[in-house]
Amino acid sequence: MAETPFKISIPQALLDRLQQKLALTTLPNELEGSGWDYGVPLADVKRLVARWMDGYDWRHHEAQLNQLPQFTRPIPVDGHGTLDIHYIHQKSEVEGAIPLLFVHGWPGIFLEGSRIVPLLTAKSDDHPSFHVVVLSLPGFGFSEGAKKPGFNIAQYAEIGNKLMLALGYDEYITQGGDWGLAVTRKIAQLYGGKHSKAWHTNMVFGDPPADFDPSTLTSEKQAALARTEGLMKKGMGYRHQQSTKPQTLAYAMTDSPVGLLAWIYEKLVAWTDRYNWTDDEVLTWISIFYFSREGPVGSFRIYYEAMGNETVPMQAFREAPAPEIPLGLSHFPGDLVVVPKSWSRMMGNVVFDSEVHEAGGHFPAYEQPEALAGDLRKMFGKGGPAYGVVPKKLGYRN
Amino acid sequence: MARDVIKSEICPKLLTGSFGNPSAGALLTSPSSSAYLSSPLEMDPETPFTLNISATQIADLKHRLELTRFPDELDEAEWAYGAPLADIQRLVSYWQTDFDWNKQQAVLNEELPQFTRNIDVDDVGTLEVHYVHKKSELEEAIPMLFVHGWPGSFIEARKILPLLTATHPDVPSFHVVAPSLPGYGSSEAPTKKGFSLDQFAETCHKLMLSLGYSEYVTQGGDWGGLITRRIAIKYGGKHSKAWHTNFPVCNAPQFTLNPFHLITSFSMILDLLWLSDFEKQALQRALETERIGTGYLRLQSTKPQTIGYALADSPVGLLAWIYEKLVGWTDGYKWTDDEILTWISIYWFSRAGPAASLRIYYEVNAQNELVPSVHDVRPTIPMGLSYFPKEVASLPRSWLRRTGNVVFDSQHDKGGHFAAYEVPESLVGDLRKMFGKGGPAYGVVAGSTGFKLS
Repeated sequence: MAETPFKISIPQALLDRLQQKLALTTLPNELEGSGWDYGVPLADVKRLVARWMDGYDWRHHEAQLNQLPQFTRPIPVDGHGTLDIHYIHQKSEVEGAIPLLFVHGWPGIFLEGSRIVPLLTAKSDDHPSFHVVVLSLPGFGFSEGAKKPGFNIAQYAEIGNKLMLALGYDEYITQGGDWGLAVTRKIAQLYGGKHSKAWHTNMVFGDPPADFDPSTLTSEKQAALARTEGLMKKGMGYRHQQSTKPQTLAYAMTDSPVGLLAWIYEKLVAWTDRYNWTDDEVLTWISIFYFSREGPVGSFRIYYEAMGNETVPMQAFREAPAPEIPLGLSHFPGDLVVVPKSWSRMMGNVVFDSEVHEAGGHFPAYEQPEALAGDLRKMFGKGGPAYGVVPKKLGYRN
Repeated sequence: MARDVIKSEICPKLLTGSFGNPSAGALLTSPSSSAYLSSPLEMDPETPFTLNISATQIADLKHRLELTRFPDELDEAEWAYGAPLADIQRLVSYWQTDFDWNKQQAVLNEELPQFTRNIDVDDVGTLEVHYVHKKSELEEAIPMLFVHGWPGSFIEARKILPLLTATHPDVPSFHVVAPSLPGYGSSEAPTKKGFSLDQFAETCHKLMLSLGYSEYVTQGGDWGGLITRRIAIKYGGKHSKAWHTNFPVCNAPQFTLNPFHLITSFSMILDLLWLSDFEKQALQRALETERIGTGYLRLQSTKPQTIGYALADSPVGLLAWIYEKLVGWTDGYKWTDDEILTWISIYWFSRAGPAASLRIYYEVNAQNELVPSVHDVRPTIPMGLSYFPKEVASLPRSWLRRTGNVVFDSQHDKGGHFAAYEVPESLVGDLRKMFGKGGPAYGVVAGSTGFKLS
């Protein structure tokens, strides 16, 4: 089936309604000297709201987004009917390029994967090329979302796999972090070997060995662990809310632009590593959530379905069995969970394990696209540990 | 007779010594009463307060409601994912159109005599505190401090007020003080970090003192339970003479290396062998609450400002946030839309805005004091405990007995988290039993037994 091109075109009425609501924004006060401790600082929010109302030009950014090759396609999901799925698809000039499915997480969006597209599809004798598909997860961006309960990781994985097959990529590889990790892991479990041939993630975790002695860690690593602990203790309220009462949260987030702004901006800052967000970048990111096909609530439900009834913590990210296909790990210093590299071998059949990069957090495809693309090139390029995993798609011109 | 006329019609303040001279009030009371003579504190005049939300504020609310953007909902989701869309849409529509805040406000003002008063809090400064104060006609009534929680407010006192202040030879009568906690209702909110249980306790305690109640008893659930417990610890004996709570929470057994903790924890585990059916069900309910009902708690105790932006800006957001608890935490209480919207409008129109009300979670969590610990200081003053079947977290009686000097406990078959509002007769019945003649806390406040001095 031919691809149906998609252009974002937010109705003017919705833009006008947004401005009406922004004009009514009522801000709370803030405790003196609270900084980021209690949540997003008031000064940041004031500045962003002011820009959103005056100066930020959605149509300009919409046009820029529309330079990305976007499409939609109906994908049937067992037990859930057919969902209209939004995605970016960029083929490389290299015919034998490696098909790659990129899957974002929360609060990620398709935009997150857009920067690695030109890098991965570029042709060169020195590194492999990829055909890149950036999926908007159901309920995110301009993908339709589930209509009934029970749309869990297996269903998201089904969507990803079926999309690749529909595009003629019978065999492919995947890259993902955050929920993208859970989804691509499930793809590896369900379709690994037959369709998914290798998987790569930038969200690395692991358990300490039984004889672990904290004093043997370098001070850097101890600091990283302390930071991880702090984030887990103080930064997971959003997760508890979204995984238990996403609908209750939805009313506030759908109705209040400033509410949504604060909700997501907190993570865009907390989870990135010295990334200098411009206000317009932030506003574009949040506008995509605000204007998304299902509204913000579409993006919360994955938490409820996948985490609301865990029998073990983080079950969706680590339940047995670990996939068998080759796994690549990229370590970024500013991610939420930073553990010593040796701990993460339990994630799967690790064939590629990057050095810890200089910089980068939870969204490295967006923050450090060259670094992430570089790792994928190393993993899949000539001499790399996953070279040739996709038969006849070696990634080079013949 | 003349006294009654003066009291009720000409100037209610006369009896409260509003001329700055307590003995002026005493002249107008029954000569045989020694109530005022037993309250040696000077009392500043009370500043009456009427809730009076402006037309501008009401219009602004309605304008926002008109622009409400709703999410969709999964098929057949009902309550599983949170507040159902049909409920919220119905409430928003009514709130925007026919809900009459002015009428509800007028009724509140009539039922609840309100005042404001500046309270000086150590290392914080002065906060203007809004409170309800209703005196019994009986001078010897027991001064009672009633403290609400979240998402409660002073409105929780509205049904127990007439019951507690009623006079009858068979039941004790109370003078009732029900403040809006700082950051709630029409009370000022603190602007500095660190305003935690000690400060909330100090505020409430000083309010009582400033009203001439050197000795008093307390009742509270939710934050009111934790705050009145702190009052019992800090001011118990000298000022707070007994405390009653309908929020039976404490920490679960902890297995640390401290041998005393270990012993306590093991015996708490053994206690589990002797649970009644009520307690077993309550424990199950507490575990379930912990599993799926504490998202708001974890969020508010770590990032209150982040969620605060939404709640301060979006009436529907605030509505859903609180409505979910009003339904989820009560025992089949048949809320009318007027009740729900009045309750939530108090938050929407609150002096400090809804975001301020969340900060108590952060501050108390920062001190690790969200749940009273059985290993902590135990208040020594008499404690009363009421168990309601649909309270969100009710822990075993034997565990709660470790947290205080329990002289009274009861169990009901109806009622939930907002007992004073849902089942006022049950709660007041318990207080009457606890403080009445023959009750375990009878006469704790010298000279104010709740009965006429014979």
